[in-house]
Amino acid sequence: MNVDEVKDRAGPREFSPKDDLPEEYRKAATRMLEFHANSEIMGAFLERPFIRKAPSIERKMAFSAKVQDEIGHGQMLYRAAESLGVKTREEMLDDLANGDGKFLNCFHYPMESYVETPMIAFFVDGAAMRRQATLKSTSWEPYAHAMDKVCFEEGFHVKHGEAILYELMTGSKKEQEMTQEAFDEWWPRIIQFFGPTNEKSTHHGFASEVGLKQMSNDDLRTAFLNAYIPKAEKYGLEIPEEPRISKNDDGTYEVVEEDLDWDEFFTIAKNDYEPGVGQINGRKAAQDAVEWVRESLDSHENRLYGSSQPQAAD
Amino acid sequence: MIWEVFRQEKSGDYHKHCGNVHAPDREMALLFAEVQHGRRKPTNSLWVTPQKEIGEVDTEDTAFGGTTDKSYRWAMTYNFEAAASEVEESESEQASAERERKAQIEGGS
Repeated sequence: MNVDEVKDRAGPREFSPKDDLPEEYRKAATRMLEFHANSEIMGAFLERPFIRKAPSIERKMAFSAKVQDEIGHGQMLYRAAESLGVKTREEMLDDLANGDGKFLNCFHYPMESYVETPMIAFFVDGAAMRRQATLKSTSWEPYAHAMDKVCFEEGFHVKHGEAILYELMTGSKKEQEMTQEAFDEWWPRIIQFFGPTNEKSTHHGFASEVGLKQMSNDDLRTAFLNAYIPKAEKYGLEIPEEPRISKNDDGTYEVVEEDLDWDEFFTIAKNDYEPGVGQINGRKAAQDAVEWVRESLDSHENRLYGSSQPQAAD
Repeated sequence: MIWEVFRQEKSGDYHKHCGNVHAPDREMALLFAEVQHGRRKPTNSLWVTPQKEIGEVDTEDTAFGGTTDKSYRWAMTYNFEAAASEVEESESEQASAERERKAQIEGGS
């Protein structure tokens, strides 16, 4: 198939590993999937400390279940990416460890305090889920299949995050103030989750023409703001004055782009910006620590089947 | 030799197990699968795999999902109006999975 044929045929779950797809498609799908998978893994590591830090046994167990889920999502997405034949899981994990793997802006910032957790668990997960729901109809079938399971599980994550937000915002004055402070700090990053407006997004055009991407960043941001601004206000959070956000008559939102720090956004994306580097190295240390497990699994596989070559082009 | 057969009804769907066939090799297994399983039911694609290559773990071997109360990992536990339609959809999928699981446990005991 050439690129024009792909564009003609593009539709929900249209292409599978048995289709002969042009390199341009396979590379674009790999870029999306690798970014998504990396983000699941980095998000899991971001929340992992709160298995220990969460204030009650219920919350600890919920965080532990959530971290399990996110690691599982990463694994499924690496498989969906590998099936494009461009990169192996090992290559993607190594790139994530050595700083070449890209992931979501929000997951470059560690969380210090428990009051920050709903910023990730309610708002960022809510934003991610909005995007993931549209990816159920992406054109790469293994990606869409992974989204079926991810979206099934994700409802718990968002509602658990909401439960923590509710608890904090109905707690002591001090808790409410600390939560508002965390919200002020995270809100611009959350708005930037959907990236710059379409004009500046270099990959959007092709990815949407071949059906990989189902909705533009602007439409996703609008849908997210429509659902989550009322929720934030309901729990008594004040929306920060910047970035300035105004609602149009047609229900869409206008975000004043100059109010957001795009220099930081693009610097962070390069993976050489603190505190993101610490997050990357923290996960690398975990990967190194279990290298012996991977090695013994590989040698076991070798003994049984004579090879443990990664099957990129399955 | 026995080959397990998986049928996909339409493009983009999952391949679901639908039966098995006798065949001496993969090529004939595909042919017999087509004849037996692809003629009447809507079919977009068939997979075959040697039966002995299938691994299985079932409810006699393990308790899927564990045996302790894990209500903390379901959306229904958190009693808030869903923030968005996709959250609501996920919750209703979880609720129906939970009902099926319960029915299974009660049916099996």
